[in-house]
Amino acid sequence: MSNQKIRRVVITGLGVFTAIGKNTPQFRRSLEGGRVGIDEVTLFDVSKYPSKIAAQIRDYDSSDYFDRIELRRLSRTDQFALIASTEAVRDAGIEVNGKTHREIGVYLGAGAGGMFSAEQYHRHLLLKGRGKPRPSLLLPFLPSYSTDAVSRRFCLCGPKGTITTACSSSATSIGYGADLIKRGNAEVVICGGSDAMSELTFGGFNALRVVDTAPCKPFDARRMGMTLGEGAGILVLEELNRALARGATIYAEFLGYSTVGEAYHMTAPEASGAEQSRTMTEAMRAAHITHREVDYINAHGTGTPINDKVETLAIKAAFGERAYSVPVSSIKSMVGHCLGSAGAIEAVASVLSIVHGFIPPTANYRDRDETCDLDYVPNRSRRQRVGTVLSNSFAFGGNCTTIVLRSYE
Amino acid sequence: MSEGILITGIGVVSSIGIGKDQFCLGLRDGADGISEISEFDTSPFKAKKGGVVKDFNAREFIPISKIRRLDRASQLAIAASRLALEDAKLTISGSNSCEVGIILGSGFCGLANSEAFHRGQVLRGFLEMNPMLFPNTVPNAATGNVSIELGIKGVNSTVVQSYCTAEAAIIMACDLLAEGRAEVILTGGVDELSEILFRAYFALKLLSHDRGDGEMSRPYDLKRNGIVLGEGAAILVLEKEGHALSRGVESYGRILSYSIVGGSDADSPWRDIERAIGLARESMNGERKIDYISGAGNSSKRVDEMEARGIKGAFPSDYCALPISSIKSMIGESIASGGMRMAANAIILEEGFIFPTIHYQTPDPHCDLNYVVNKSVEREVKTILHNGISPDGTFASILLGR
Repeated sequence: MSNQKIRRVVITGLGVFTAIGKNTPQFRRSLEGGRVGIDEVTLFDVSKYPSKIAAQIRDYDSSDYFDRIELRRLSRTDQFALIASTEAVRDAGIEVNGKTHREIGVYLGAGAGGMFSAEQYHRHLLLKGRGKPRPSLLLPFLPSYSTDAVSRRFCLCGPKGTITTACSSSATSIGYGADLIKRGNAEVVICGGSDAMSELTFGGFNALRVVDTAPCKPFDARRMGMTLGEGAGILVLEELNRALARGATIYAEFLGYSTVGEAYHMTAPEASGAEQSRTMTEAMRAAHITHREVDYINAHGTGTPINDKVETLAIKAAFGERAYSVPVSSIKSMVGHCLGSAGAIEAVASVLSIVHGFIPPTANYRDRDETCDLDYVPNRSRRQRVGTVLSNSFAFGGNCTTIVLRSYE
Repeated sequence: MSEGILITGIGVVSSIGIGKDQFCLGLRDGADGISEISEFDTSPFKAKKGGVVKDFNAREFIPISKIRRLDRASQLAIAASRLALEDAKLTISGSNSCEVGIILGSGFCGLANSEAFHRGQVLRGFLEMNPMLFPNTVPNAATGNVSIELGIKGVNSTVVQSYCTAEAAIIMACDLLAEGRAEVILTGGVDELSEILFRAYFALKLLSHDRGDGEMSRPYDLKRNGIVLGEGAAILVLEKEGHALSRGVESYGRILSYSIVGGSDADSPWRDIERAIGLARESMNGERKIDYISGAGNSSKRVDEMEARGIKGAFPSDYCALPISSIKSMIGESIASGGMRMAANAIILEEGFIFPTIHYQTPDPHCDLNYVVNKSVEREVKTILHNGISPDGTFASILLGR
């Protein structure tokens, strides 16, 4: 592959399923309107937890999308993955009538996978419920089950894999998907991810005391922690010449990414921000751009006191003085922290900001924090031409990923 | 592939041996790592056996103060990673930490830890939940903990893809090395065997149990009746050729080519095995005769048969001459067992013997390849074909050679 000319990667399809929009147009309107999708959790009993809210997907009836037999084998995570993939694959104009696509791969990021189903099985065992729990609840537990479901549904038989690096999973899946196209291992890769809420995760973040009891307020002086969310974001990555040849709509170009390990702590970020700054700097180097070209930073911005402070420090280290003039916002203030799918949902938001010329706001913002003193685009989206976006995803285990997207002209 | 990728170290923590030398002895002797499980109560189940790593003492690899904060999968992975770095004569320091990466395959990672956390949540309620257990419930706990313990700051990822989990991780490592994202990557697989996993596999009717012919892992045997679960960690140090040469380190061999594909034909999955093998052979530089096939056979009816048909399809005229054996007869099956198989492949290239499929007694007419059974065979092996088979529809092939 050494003397081949460089293959460029573009985005030709989008799909999204979240608390603020069950498809891309709805999701875009919510981002532009600064709509917050956070409310009381009804998926399971939260009465015993300090926080009782999340960006849970509402008014969702799985039987609107799947038949009963299918549903016995699909977790909530798999369902979201399939719904968002259906939108993305159709949007990209990929034939879905049973044709086998050997040139199309699937790399999804995942979080808790079928945890919500497996929990029901485990609870039944522990509480000695009546009869035997249904073993098929365990089938979708492995996070690669969603990837298999998507590949099977659309007969996508190229390279396949599932990235499980917690909150950076789906961002990394997009980066690696682009590598596969650049290397000629695939012509198209369906990337992104899906993650549904589970009680284990909800209880876990509560037990760590990193959740806010009110909707999260990234970068705000009053911020107390994160708010969990759920959903799926899917992007169709495609080799540029193939997209041009078939006259596909090109939303944006994938310019580059970086993924590194902090080697510091399982849950806390390295406090100076040096490692996160290195991630952003390396991503810009891989994308062959300088920080002067970045029009918008789509922040990880979870809303915990430490995370937002460190990310701000890291942006300053990577951008210098320019940090103060680049808009930075966290859509987690609206969609919550969707963990395994967060990076993909944020990538979809980043692409939409490029295509439609706006910067999504950081909602719930009121009080300026001395340590978070950048332009966080508070509460109202901003109409503005957006050429290049940098999107950050930082995770448990010290996984840091930054991706760079640019308008295609 | 544009630049060579060498295997310059292996680290193994397995039920047939910890460390390269013991593991090599175990392979040569056809050791049986599977026994009655005493770590938890198997009385509710008809299955009783597993490939538990009995002799593992975490204190030999990890400071005592840290051990209690680590799930078993993380402990196994840290130990195997230390052994692999030692074997590769590689020290990670401030000057090279950013060019060394880690990409591990793990399916359920520290599942016992997650189970304990959820048990507390269900039985005792929020106020008595142990927050210390939560961080290691993520599937990347082992990778994260290894990177923290060893100071690995380069590319970092965790991969799962059903029974091709370790293959998918190793292939991602090769791609990222070829893309120039790292000079060295620790890769492979880690799995722990826990009561909850055993229970789940039993409930899904996947485990072998005694129905008159005994409970054992016996790939390719007519009387095989399901898998036996195993555990362990196997880490390969993959290194760019130039980097390995510059530090003057020897290697076991090189990764010649690879492929990983999604299933296109649920009714005849062996065609996808053929396709994966074909893709890997196509992209290899120059024709090379294959000397050995690392078997994916896991003692289930379906996988062993599928593998035989796939290999016959890929090598219609010379499959009878291609020796194949499955390490799963000794250590059992697990989601990321491909890591252990790849470490065994490295040993074969270096030592020049083929380990056997043990417990083999009754030939199955549907599994009619050239199986090396019950006794190892001394033979020079220059090129190995390694196939990963996931009945859920993922097929991987890796070619490696001296």
